[in-house]
Amino acid sequence: MPANRIVPLVAREGLRGPYWLLTFRHPEIARDARAGQFVMIKAGTSAEPPLRRPFSIMATDPGAETFTLFVKEVGPGSRALGRLAPGEVAQCLGPLGRPFSTPPAGTEALLVAGGYGVAPFRLFAEELKRSGGRGRLFYGGRTSDDLPLLEHLGGTSTPLVPATEDGSVGHHGQVTAPLEEWLDSGAGPARLYACGPEAMLHAVARVAEARGLAAEVSLDPWMGCGIGTCLGCVVKVQNTDETRASYRCACTEGPVFDAARVRWPGEEVSRARRERAGFMA
Amino acid sequence: MNLAVEIAGLRFKNPLIAASGTFGYGVEYEDVLDLSRLGGIVSKGLYMEPRDGNPTPRITETPSGLLNAIGLQGIGIRAFVRDVLPRIARYDTVHLVNICGDTVEEYAEVARVCDGAEGIAGIEVNISCPNVKKGGLAFGGDPRMTHEVVAAVRKVTRRPVIPKLSPNVADIAVLARAAEEAGADALSCINTLLGLAVDVETRRPKLAFGTGGLSGPAIRPVAVRMAWQAARAVKIPVIGIGGISSASDALEFLIAGCPAVQIGTANFVDPGVHERILADLATWLEQHGLDDIGAVVGTLEYPGLPGPCGTEVCP
Repeated sequence: MPANRIVPLVAREGLRGPYWLLTFRHPEIARDARAGQFVMIKAGTSAEPPLRRPFSIMATDPGAETFTLFVKEVGPGSRALGRLAPGEVAQCLGPLGRPFSTPPAGTEALLVAGGYGVAPFRLFAEELKRSGGRGRLFYGGRTSDDLPLLEHLGGTSTPLVPATEDGSVGHHGQVTAPLEEWLDSGAGPARLYACGPEAMLHAVARVAEARGLAAEVSLDPWMGCGIGTCLGCVVKVQNTDETRASYRCACTEGPVFDAARVRWPGEEVSRARRERAGFMA
Repeated sequence: MNLAVEIAGLRFKNPLIAASGTFGYGVEYEDVLDLSRLGGIVSKGLYMEPRDGNPTPRITETPSGLLNAIGLQGIGIRAFVRDVLPRIARYDTVHLVNICGDTVEEYAEVARVCDGAEGIAGIEVNISCPNVKKGGLAFGGDPRMTHEVVAAVRKVTRRPVIPKLSPNVADIAVLARAAEEAGADALSCINTLLGLAVDVETRRPKLAFGTGGLSGPAIRPVAVRMAWQAARAVKIPVIGIGGISSASDALEFLIAGCPAVQIGTANFVDPGVHERILADLATWLEQHGLDDIGAVVGTLEYPGLPGPCGTEVCP
């Protein structure tokens, strides 16, 4: 597990806006990574900025021993990654964290991505293709600028359903609208998987709760170490066998959590607690 | 080549110790590195009872640093002794427990549990955490309270007592002497520097707790200065802490008078940091024709320096 790995950049592709696809070589990461897992990575060997940054693993190619990250430039850490040239190296820990679960046989995996949060679903779609599972990817953002990966999601067996709040691409509205339409249309058994902004994850959790569906959400809090010791990335979670919610490391117990167990901001009590108290059928 | 050092009657196989709050309880690193290679491990701070810690966000990066307000989330001393200690005690390293309390009595109570637990070599007394409302810095900022807490812990244990001092004081020498007089066997210097990072869009602190403790390379010169001042003020050994991520960083503390150092924030950046520093330390000694790390300790040449801080003229 998390020994420091020196990974050379083998390819970089600039996308529209502040986005990059960065492909690194490392045989074990390429072989072992599962959808929903991440790496803690920093460019080069310089001391500044001090901390590594977490990135979902977007794709792997075990044959070529490579893995690809979808990087958005937001600060000094991601900027340094975006400036790496092929042949230069990054320091990497991973693959880390709990991946998305495999959908049970006969269950359709409904993947809900918000903007930048689409990264793990490319790998998820590849896993579905390999296992013969069924899936559908709902990919939403405010405008088409938030969907820079749109052209890179083909080649899998998972149909893509884009949505933008300004209507510039796909469904006009929030991504949960086409999701609910699909669920209303008489789709069979489904499990929801979501990654994106917290408000969207909460919305997906509510859709799942209202329809009695299982949902898994990938949370993205500020992370310091990625291996469960800094306790910076904790989220409040209450499992069914627990009498109270407590802080759990998103890096080691997540980043994927059962949506029903997450104490969402603004929610006084978790769904688990309400269930026990008999508030729900 | 001898890298071993002796502090407070404890033999550390090398002068590199994992700092409290940056290494979990040790078990988290079990699969990552050979814990027996470490000079020592200081546990995450422990109270009598489990603690939730502070709300999030708890950490933010700053220039060459990390500002945190975790708030001493932890499993409590009893769970540590029952569930964790048996697992880590089998590693041949010095196991130190960092103890906390809301009251003087609680410090003593936690120390008593440590005293009765096989495998705990010594007790680091956390009187310097800036991220809790009671205890912590409230004790470490006042020499009388420092004396009281350390004396209370001293009274209930035969194990070495190592208070961890705060840099958030006007003169660390005063606190160092108060701890020494109360019976401390060694000192850990320093804990984090109190800081505040502001989100300019929301005009709120970036951390939910408000202020936080600054660590990382940003604080190293402050830490070396304060460890050096403390070391000059007392006869007991001072373990240096603050922004160490290379052998040269560690050597600064050793030369300034610390027989050992703790590595903190660098654990978050590189879990292999101990191994790297250890190798580089040996290389440095070799290059300088030395075969004992002890020969480096307290060799600071400081032209025109007056006597030890506090005993004569203080810079």
